[in-house]
Amino acid sequence: MTSSTYNAWKLVSLSPLPPWALVGLGVALALGVALAVVGLRKEALRARRAVLWTLRILAGVAALFFLLEPGVRNMQVATVKNRLAILVDRSASMAFPADGDGHTRSQVVARYLESVAPELAALSERFSLEIDGFDPALAPLSTQALNAEPPRGGRTDLLSALRAVKAQEQSGAQKRLSGILLFSDGADNAELQQGVAGRARAALSDLEVPISTFVVGRDALKDLAVETVKVDDFAFVRNMITVEVEVRGRGFSGQTIPVVLRREGQVVASKSVQLNSSDEMVPVSFQLTPDQTGRFVYTVAVPVFPEEAVAENNSRSFVLKVIRDRVRVLLVVGRPTWDERFLRGLLRQDPNVDLISFYILRTMSDDVNTVNPDRELSLIPFPMDEIFDKKLRTFDVVIFQNFGYTDPALTITQYEDNLERYINDGGAFLMIGGDRSFGEGRVSFNTLGRAMPLEPTGLPASVEPFKPRLTPEGARHPVTAVQSGGVSASESSWASMPELPGANLTRARPGATVLLDHPVLQVDGKPAPVLAVWEYGRGRAAALTVDSSWYWAFTSHRSGSPTRHYDRFWGNALRWLVRDPDLTTLKVTADPPALEPGKPVGVVVVARMPDYQPAAEAEVKVDLVSVGTQKVIATQVALTGPDGMARVEFPPPEPGPYRVVGTAKKGERELGEGEDAVAVRAVGPELSDASVHSDLMERIASVTGGKSYRLPMSGLPDVPLLDPPVVEVGRSKDQPLWDRWYYLVALVALLGTEWFLRRRFGYV
Amino acid sequence: MARWMPSRRAALAGLCGAVASAVWPRPARAFGDGARFVPAVLQHKGRWDARLSGLRRLAWELGRRTSVEMVPDARPLALNSPKLFEYPFVYLGGDGGLPALSEDEVENLRRYLTFGGFLLADANDGSEGTGFDADFRREMQRLLPQSPLTPVPSEHVIFKSFYLLESVPGRLLRKPQIESCNLGKRAAVVYTQNDLAGAWSRDESGDYELEVTPGGESQREIAIRLGINLCMYSLCLDYKDDAVHLPLIMQKRR
Repeated sequence: MTSSTYNAWKLVSLSPLPPWALVGLGVALALGVALAVVGLRKEALRARRAVLWTLRILAGVAALFFLLEPGVRNMQVATVKNRLAILVDRSASMAFPADGDGHTRSQVVARYLESVAPELAALSERFSLEIDGFDPALAPLSTQALNAEPPRGGRTDLLSALRAVKAQEQSGAQKRLSGILLFSDGADNAELQQGVAGRARAALSDLEVPISTFVVGRDALKDLAVETVKVDDFAFVRNMITVEVEVRGRGFSGQTIPVVLRREGQVVASKSVQLNSSDEMVPVSFQLTPDQTGRFVYTVAVPVFPEEAVAENNSRSFVLKVIRDRVRVLLVVGRPTWDERFLRGLLRQDPNVDLISFYILRTMSDDVNTVNPDRELSLIPFPMDEIFDKKLRTFDVVIFQNFGYTDPALTITQYEDNLERYINDGGAFLMIGGDRSFGEGRVSFNTLGRAMPLEPTGLPASVEPFKPRLTPEGARHPVTAVQSGGVSASESSWASMPELPGANLTRARPGATVLLDHPVLQVDGKPAPVLAVWEYGRGRAAALTVDSSWYWAFTSHRSGSPTRHYDRFWGNALRWLVRDPDLTTLKVTADPPALEPGKPVGVVVVARMPDYQPAAEAEVKVDLVSVGTQKVIATQVALTGPDGMARVEFPPPEPGPYRVVGTAKKGERELGEGEDAVAVRAVGPELSDASVHSDLMERIASVTGGKSYRLPMSGLPDVPLLDPPVVEVGRSKDQPLWDRWYYLVALVALLGTEWFLRRRFGYV
Repeated sequence: MARWMPSRRAALAGLCGAVASAVWPRPARAFGDGARFVPAVLQHKGRWDARLSGLRRLAWELGRRTSVEMVPDARPLALNSPKLFEYPFVYLGGDGGLPALSEDEVENLRRYLTFGGFLLADANDGSEGTGFDADFRREMQRLLPQSPLTPVPSEHVIFKSFYLLESVPGRLLRKPQIESCNLGKRAAVVYTQNDLAGAWSRDESGDYELEVTPGGESQREIAIRLGINLCMYSLCLDYKDDAVHLPLIMQKRR
């Protein structure tokens, strides 16, 4: 190997002694010098003292030289360039016009990078240059691609891109980062959207690299945008909620802009906002009171003006789930009983129930022993017309508890049609036994009876105590699921309930689902039903043939182990009756309920049989219906899996509100229908903001130690960069210096001269 | 105080009552006693059964005056009996002292009241600070220490659950108010020192057994009405406090 192989050298110690030994010997040498100094302190002649000190110090240095065995290390070194990253924003907002010539922001960046190509080439001698685009994922980019391919990123996440560049260094695969040149309009819609403060500022500082920012775009665009819409995910029916909107107007100073709120095409509210400056954000709030339960697509919109930079950000849609606030229950009680007392206690304490109740406390045959009944009694007339006609449809559930009279003042014969229609049209009805409901004291409900899942047999009631038995259907049904933990848990819970004192004998109508039956007694060769449910028209009805369910609430506590089975049973029954969405047999859910443009519409369908078993291999059909045109624009079909679930996906539709309507059937059996709403937004957050955030870009530069510039500009400025470049060692060769004969002669001469002079001066 | 022993006539009357209840006309049939109002009477080591005929009479009046189905009987029950949980209305009376309840009796009764039972306590001796009154207050301290006896306000639903009432007499009129122990909003225990059941009691010949003072028969009628209202309260809770009733009741009270 020739000496030209080596291009650097350095002085090194070649001593084989370990460092501690070298240190020890060095200390001994220092002591030797010190002793010489001490020994000469009484020397009167300064010159003589100085000569002897000098000789001893020089001898010490020479001895140290021999100890350290100095040598020259010849090295072959290579300079490794640090990285300089050029990051270019590839989000969709970079496609907005940036100058009067119609060039986009992205194209302005491309032109600039082309114009400074020679300076970049010069920099590349010291730095490893990389050009990356982020949308927001980082990817290598060329200026040609920057010119040719329009930016499409759905988000601008500057901090994420900066972190990604830095992470390459930390992974060890890349060299150290000297600096970042960031080209963007600064329209961040992620972590830096709220500015550089708090955590975002700390995150930028932690990058420990100067970031020089190049702002592109002009602020003088004209644009109206529904910038933000803030509303809860769900609302209670008949309860007012507030929708808070922020409208941003640039270039509309002095103009009044109408803002309209629509529910699936129908205008539900409108307001006007006054824009007083050239760039202003104006808050608008709408109060609305949903009158129906379900999921609905709402849209907030401002008009589109011809000269606007972006038309798509003038509206913004959201999905609102409207749920019932409280279940409104009408409880009509034939006479006060313990069954009524415990059910009332339960319903009254349930904050989700609005209970309206009417009890028959006195019949015409009762003798109240009063002179002036009006003044002595607290009784009020039974307002049958009010509750069974005028207000009937305001109730979510009607409960007859042992109610049924032939007394002309108390009979409801004339309202039976109303009640039957109420159920048929989607209402919920529950009949609780009792002799007046199903037993010997009953009245014949000729019309209303048709809506009941059970019909009286006319047989005398059984007064033998018994424990109701959970049927196979009951084991899976949500009404009788009084214990979490599946079928076995429910079965053991029902088995642990106290005996009831008797039951009316009824028979189930065809189509009814019997959930509890009598373990011994039979009607028509089948176990006598105790609890049955069914769907009647669009409504639901249930019947319980006993008036002693209060035993499950009170008597069951006699052993000292309280349970909540009674509460759960009636809670489940009410939820099922009012079609709590969690208890429907076909559940259709848009997933997610609101979409960015260009995303497919996903729909999840969960199908169950009427007995709530998962409906495996059921045929599911889902229609995507445009709310605007009320037309089906696409249909998807699928088969459910063993869990009764199927997922279908529609290709990305045009922006707007849609409904997804699902049906399912297994064999010839229809499993019901369900629907949900989905909003496809016109623009994502990226295109909703056409402004240039130069302030953000400046803050990024100042926090990280970089500088901020604005395009267009000429030449590459002198940006702050970390230096120097690091040096790495390749090959090396050591050449000893200490083993020359003259070094030894010098040491001997120094020691000899000192000895000679000391003798001469009388110290030896 | 002499220990009360039922006479042969009383025993005969009780037997007649039992027969009468068995053949009581029932226009509609409920399942056993579970669906009907049956006043249960708590047995204790003192004189607990001084007013059994009064309770039978109250049940009878309840059936006669209201739509409630009842059993005209007074069902004695041990304080620690699990059967207590089949009778949500119990009566605890005493003529003289109320001996201390055992721990399991206190525990059973506490659970009974907590999970929805109703206790009507009645000082048959009309005592004030002595006798039944002192002992009952002592036991209530053990039973529901967190829910002390407090006067029932005049606007309480008890005073309008069936009859509109303004006073609370019994056989006596020692105290102008009744007291209650409340669990949440529910009055779980109602206590009167006016011997309420004494005003309802009848002897075997059907005559009222005890004189009512100072108001005579009109006071007795109010005592019966108070009993009816208490039964109605135990059956319907705060039904008459529902918004739909209030305007009319307010108008009647004017």
